[in-house]
Amino acid sequence: MKYRETTRSGGALPWLFQRISGVYLAVVLFVHVVNLHILIDGEIGYAAIAERVATPLWKTINISFLIVALFHGLYGLWIVLEDYIHIGWLRVLIYSVIATIALVFAIFGTLTMITFQYGG
Amino acid sequence: MAMITFKINRYNPDDEKRGHFVQEYQLDVPKGYTVLDCLNDIKWKLDGTLTFRRSCRSGICGSCAMTMNGVNNLACETQALALNCDTIAIEPLRGYPVVKDLVVSLDPIVRGLMAVKPYLMTKTPPPTDQERLQSPEEREKLDGLYECILCGSCTSSCPSFWADKEYVGPHAFLKAYRFVADTRDECPGEHLEPIDDKHGLWRCHTIFNCVEACPKDLNPTKAIAELKKELVRGKLG
Repeated sequence: MKYRETTRSGGALPWLFQRISGVYLAVVLFVHVVNLHILIDGEIGYAAIAERVATPLWKTINISFLIVALFHGLYGLWIVLEDYIHIGWLRVLIYSVIATIALVFAIFGTLTMITFQYGG
Repeated sequence: MAMITFKINRYNPDDEKRGHFVQEYQLDVPKGYTVLDCLNDIKWKLDGTLTFRRSCRSGICGSCAMTMNGVNNLACETQALALNCDTIAIEPLRGYPVVKDLVVSLDPIVRGLMAVKPYLMTKTPPPTDQERLQSPEEREKLDGLYECILCGSCTSSCPSFWADKEYVGPHAFLKAYRFVADTRDECPGEHLEPIDDKHGLWRCHTIFNCVEACPKDLNPTKAIAELKKELVRGKLG
């Protein structure tokens, strides 16, 4: 019987990052919900949200949330797909599509957040 | 006593034309009969061509692991009447190549097992006046790890294995952690390195099927989690 040949995966650190990013996403979501639905004064409308989103702190939080969520979700998707796709060129193609989606959303999302302004 | 219909997956490699098919047998099952007893009765009294593995008939050897009504278990530890139905479907363990009827090739199990070097490895010479000793507490850490009988039920139930036949498998991970956790083993890296592999540990998605399938109530998923922590600790220095 042929023994298995070992191919180093380098999966340890991405696995760890998935755990850390999962915790980060849960915490930020919690902060978001508390902030939006419990702490907010007055009506929840465009003005209230836009005023908050236009501050540098919330811009930073939202950009980090966007990038971490994109990595966490799309890397998770790739990990699941990787189980079932064994054809070399198809793996490259799907990986490229996922990476492109991540990059495009990250760039547009970040630009939107950076340039967002409200009031004076 | 109850009349039970057994629907058994059959396959004869010498009759490729017929391929895989299901054959039905009816048997009066007395109280206390295990599924293995039923299979023996079928083979001895109804159809001598039915092929299955069995040896110890006491839950130690792991030979008679099979899928009964969709659940992996040992036939010798499954009471037929306790399944509480008048039809019992019996299949060979899923995911492995079928050799004949209920007999599967366990080559994938052995490949995974040999990859993790399932034996104690040391660097220091053994003491001359005694064995390598462990405290009762150190020995206790191996409870739930050493009892694996290598029946293959866990790996057969694992979706990661269904998707990737090169996947090392939960049985091998449990065995690897049995040696990584052993204080007498001085080379944990030797067991860890082969499973930090693209068909290795990181393909486990914590589905817990292996835990449900284990007839000895062991927890390969927990062992896998511990191995992941060990590898991450190693990477972080």
